[in-house]
Amino acid sequence: MPLVFHVTENELDNEVDNELSMRTLPFLVITIISGAIAGTILGIINLGIVEPYIDKAIELETQKDIQAGQNVNLDEIVGYRIWQKGGEIVGGIIYGISLSSLFGIVFAYSRNSLPTSNDKVKAIFLASIMCFVLFIVPALKYPANPPAVGAPETIYYRQGLFVGFLVISGATALAAAAIILKKIDGTTSKKISIACAIYGAVMLVSYLVMPPNPDKISIPIDLIITFRFASALTISMFWGILGLTFGTLWSKFKPHKFEKITAF
Amino acid sequence: MDKPTNYLYILDILKNEMSYSRQLLIKRSDISKVAIGILVAIMLFGFFVVGFDQGQLFSLVEGKQAFDSKWLHEFTHDMRHAAGFPCH
Ligand SMILES: [Zn+2]
Repeated sequence: MPLVFHVTENELDNEVDNELSMRTLPFLVITIISGAIAGTILGIINLGIVEPYIDKAIELETQKDIQAGQNVNLDEIVGYRIWQKGGEIVGGIIYGISLSSLFGIVFAYSRNSLPTSNDKVKAIFLASIMCFVLFIVPALKYPANPPAVGAPETIYYRQGLFVGFLVISGATALAAAAIILKKIDGTTSKKISIACAIYGAVMLVSYLVMPPNPDKISIPIDLIITFRFASALTISMFWGILGLTFGTLWSKFKPHKFEKITAF
Repeated sequence: MDKPTNYLYILDILKNEMSYSRQLLIKRSDISKVAIGILVAIMLFGFFVVGFDQGQLFSLVEGKQAFDSKWLHEFTHDMRHAAGFPCH
């Protein structure tokens, strides 16, 4: 038995305006708050897990500079380190809100296509995919490096490569999703295999075609590998926390409620 | 929500024994374009600050010196390394 509203056109217009403003605000607030929470936790975890490696790498870098006969101002380095560590949590919050903004947009547009009817599951599912597409895959080509790796002269070139690969990965994932949702008929598993095949093929070619990171590595490889694992661990945790927080808040405040009341 | 149309009204005129009643069903609404615009702006700004700034942002007020001191770059520096952005 469908739910029916008996309203005049005029009443309907008022209704629509109110509903729109009610939906937009919780949507924005949920998106920003969940990014801030996940980013704060990321900053705190990084202070414990990633900072020791950054300290170690900067120590090695400084020793190398001293041996090379450069004038090193140790006080200045200590001062910078305090400033940098202080920025870890603030940096985490900015990074968190930045990614949650993107996450919120993708979630809003893809919510109806995401699996299950549970918003928490939907959010965690989407967060896992975005972690894979926007962090894991780019890191396979251009992995995270601690300080002491990376020549200042090549920074803009490396930023270009990194952004290029990131954008290819994101755009291919979007395109693959659009293709299976709009153009392919069939079972879910068939659709998923097609999406994975498209994404995998494009990323494999991009991986082979894109030039490597040009910088030489001059500190022990063990330190770099451990740093990369620490980075992958904390960023993956960040995405998990973001998905969980966002999904929990969404289930609680239901910014889509307007749609749900009437779309029976 | 995934449809480009703003609002979809299903006008259904039902005939029942007593009278005609006009039924209006609001099916779904679009996502606010303003909200999307705000989120895109936040995303780009945050991404630039954490991932890419080499002094550009502070140079707007600090001038050329910002490229040497790079206060903002150094502030988000450790997060930049940890999140896998190129640096140094
Ligand atoms: Zn650095």
